[in-house]
Amino acid sequence: MGADICGSHHCVTCGDDGVAMQVVRIDEVRGLALCAHEDGTKETVETALVDPVAPGDTLLVHAGTALARLEPAA
Amino acid sequence: MKFVDEFRDAELGRAVAGEILSLVEPGRHYKLMEVCGGHTHSIYKYGIDDLLPANVELVHGPGCPVCVIPMGRVDDGIAVAHQAGVIFTCFGDMMRVPGSDGSLLDAKAAGADIRMVYSPLDALRIAKQNPDREVVFFAIGFETTAPSTALTLKRARAETVPNFSVMCSHVTIVPPVRALLESPDLRLDGFIGPGHVSTVVGARPFQFIPADYGKPVVIAGFEPLDILQAIEMILRQLADGRCEVENQYKRVVPFEGNLRALEVMAEVFELRPHFEWRGLGFISHSGLKLSDAYADLDAEARFSVPGVRVADPKACQCGEVLKGVIKPWECKVFGTACTPERPIGTCMVSSEGACAAYYNFGRFAREREVV
Repeated sequence: MGADICGSHHCVTCGDDGVAMQVVRIDEVRGLALCAHEDGTKETVETALVDPVAPGDTLLVHAGTALARLEPAA
Repeated sequence: MKFVDEFRDAELGRAVAGEILSLVEPGRHYKLMEVCGGHTHSIYKYGIDDLLPANVELVHGPGCPVCVIPMGRVDDGIAVAHQAGVIFTCFGDMMRVPGSDGSLLDAKAAGADIRMVYSPLDALRIAKQNPDREVVFFAIGFETTAPSTALTLKRARAETVPNFSVMCSHVTIVPPVRALLESPDLRLDGFIGPGHVSTVVGARPFQFIPADYGKPVVIAGFEPLDILQAIEMILRQLADGRCEVENQYKRVVPFEGNLRALEVMAEVFELRPHFEWRGLGFISHSGLKLSDAYADLDAEARFSVPGVRVADPKACQCGEVLKGVIKPWECKVFGTACTPERPIGTCMVSSEGACAAYYNFGRFAREREVV
């Protein structure tokens, strides 16, 4: 089961390690953003802890929350 | 990919390894601890230890959030999961951690409604979709994960989701590091500081390590070059006779941390008087619980939990592995009775656990030539 979840990759479901994701779309009202992993899979991300974000920004995301911005806003 | 590829450059890696070689004194043994399980995973995934001189030893620290959860806490989670009407949610790796009578995965097989989620936000969504059920999120992790739980609790309050609650097992990184530094059976020369915990807490909380214990700390990212450079920076401090907190991961970690995250954590959580860590025992002010303002969303107040302390299995030496006293393969049950498929100890469960990292990347024999 662990191999199914994590494979040989880093497990982000509980590891204290973030991943870089790119903002695709923003829900300003709810403070959420749809973000894409490198492989294209998408996930809803809390953006309350980083400055206002724009599509195309790269964020460091952990457990569904953006903890830092990885590059300046476009 | 940007922010990744440039930190995996093999030629640069060899150049940094050469720098490291030039900094070590022959005959001196260097013992450096990587606090974070994410670093442990990267070190063995990329074979970083093979690039180091034999007298530079990396010791794996207690920074895997799954590995430090004691069995009694798993039992508490299973007890809640078995209560009528409960949907119990948790991160994937947590499901395989053995309690005294099986894991959450075993409890799921026995009929409990236990679901894996990728974020606390997913758990809140399940609660909204199932208003007639009680949805409990089993929150684990260091300061990297705690803001996520805190924001979800604020959202649950703002959106009035009365059937959502959190069983809080969040922990903080500084107390166990201090406990390790006080440990008489462990002599360390320096620390590779946790990169993403520091994104939240900043570099300041680690200043006690050079100030009180005279050891260098370098906060590092998770790519191979990040870790190699951090080792080089620690060895340079030692060679210069300096000890301070340096930040190798400046592209992500601000010195002050993420102030908004710290604010939201201060609002939602408060420190427990003490919390039990697997293998390390009870450590004062090392765990988080919900603050009084959020006590109504505390699953431990909403449901009865046994709260019984359970001793680790005798054969399991996770405690010594977590303290860096023994290497994973030195444990009696490593790779035989204890494997990632059927773990006895928590270090074999998560891919961040030192034992699983060794097992998955084939680091069984550790004989290297001395410089």
